[in-house]
Amino acid sequence: MSEKAVQETFEALFALTDLRQIFRETKPTYELNDEQKKKIKEVIESVRRSLDVIEQELIK
Amino acid sequence: MRNIIDGIEIRAREELFINIHPIQPGGRLTPEAMKAMISYGDGYSTCDWCRKPFRLDKIRRPPIEEFHAELAEFLGMDQARVVPGARRGFQAVVSTLVEKGDSVIVSSLAHYTEFLAVEDAGGVVKEVPLNEANIVTAEATARKIEEVRKETGKLPKLIMIDYFDYMFGNEHDVRGIAKVAKEYEIPFLCNGAYAIGVLPVNGKEIGADFLVGSGHKSFASPAPSGIVATTNEWAEKVFRTTQMVGDVTKRKFGIKEVEMLGCTLMGANLIAMMASFPAVKERVKHWGDEIEKINYFVNEFLKIEGNKVLSEMPRKHTLTKVDTSGSFDRVAQTHKRRGFFLSDELRDRKIIGEFAGATRTWKLNTYGLTWGQIKYLAQAFKDIAKKYGIKVLE
Repeated sequence: MSEKAVQETFEALFALTDLRQIFRETKPTYELNDEQKKKIKEVIESVRRSLDVIEQELIK
Repeated sequence: MRNIIDGIEIRAREELFINIHPIQPGGRLTPEAMKAMISYGDGYSTCDWCRKPFRLDKIRRPPIEEFHAELAEFLGMDQARVVPGARRGFQAVVSTLVEKGDSVIVSSLAHYTEFLAVEDAGGVVKEVPLNEANIVTAEATARKIEEVRKETGKLPKLIMIDYFDYMFGNEHDVRGIAKVAKEYEIPFLCNGAYAIGVLPVNGKEIGADFLVGSGHKSFASPAPSGIVATTNEWAEKVFRTTQMVGDVTKRKFGIKEVEMLGCTLMGANLIAMMASFPAVKERVKHWGDEIEKINYFVNEFLKIEGNKVLSEMPRKHTLTKVDTSGSFDRVAQTHKRRGFFLSDELRDRKIIGEFAGATRTWKLNTYGLTWGQIKYLAQAFKDIAKKYGIKVLE
């Protein structure tokens, strides 16, 4: 078990929390402006990166 | 939506619906607070670095001591403590000042926990009547003090008045009342449960001896959480430390504060409050925008024939009491779902938080909604009215 994997687990949860905030700000129509779309892309990339690290650290 | 475990559903209403619940919006967490909840949810999480003198507000990692100092400064007071809800703030002050049979002046719109705090100390509440606009004035407070003096032969021990009340969201004359309190030399507690954390509040500018706030009502924090702040003069009394010595063991716990029962708001609730604090400091500067939005909303809402606003106008707070007896309640009288038709219609439009089934007088709160959400909300009410043949002015 590595500290890096734990760190990335929190990073992913925090990034998804930012996504949760976007849901809150755009409900109930979820019409996104350019800035929000950019933020969502960043969240997705960040979570993917974290998952890759977790996978690398723990499974491969 | 899946459950967390059987019987506990995921609560996603803030992500899925516009929530106009009267008491929930100011306590909606910031993303920073949500992250704090993820990281600090374990029981004694704030105690990892608790060192001498072993008291919550002295912990410096995370910077809890610094937070207390900044919180006092933010509120324009000398000292502050975090407590499990505003009610525990009332209790700490009342328990210090009030003895059996003492009178305490409260508003006719006082929260029930103010009553309970006085009852717990053996005191008696004396309510200041409202004026015709449902406002507590300095003059009415002075009259009540004189009434109490005449009736009991003694002055009240404390005046406890809400800055904004929970019923109408009206602003009460706390500055004028503070002056009256000073003239009579009666300590004044300003209940800022609906103010601290959403709008600028400065205790010294108000003239309050005590300020009490609610984390879960107005400080983007989980329940229970609250604040009690005071001046150095009163801090000596309300935040007094224990003098008790065990008769067998001779143990003493000298640093612990009696009214706080030692350490107060521990764990995730406190860290979430701290995590929200930078956003709270920023958002109070934008209270004017919130007022602009609620006034836009009520102006649109009043275009529906029969709708009334029972709170003071123009609105000075986002918490607002409305009367739809002359509009939606007329529909409810013949609708098979009775008053629940309005809840159904709102829910179909992804709006929740109204008092389900109520179509006469009820409350709503628009705090924190974006302009897009405010316009959507206003349009939804107008669309429902039109659907049921209620005239809408355009």
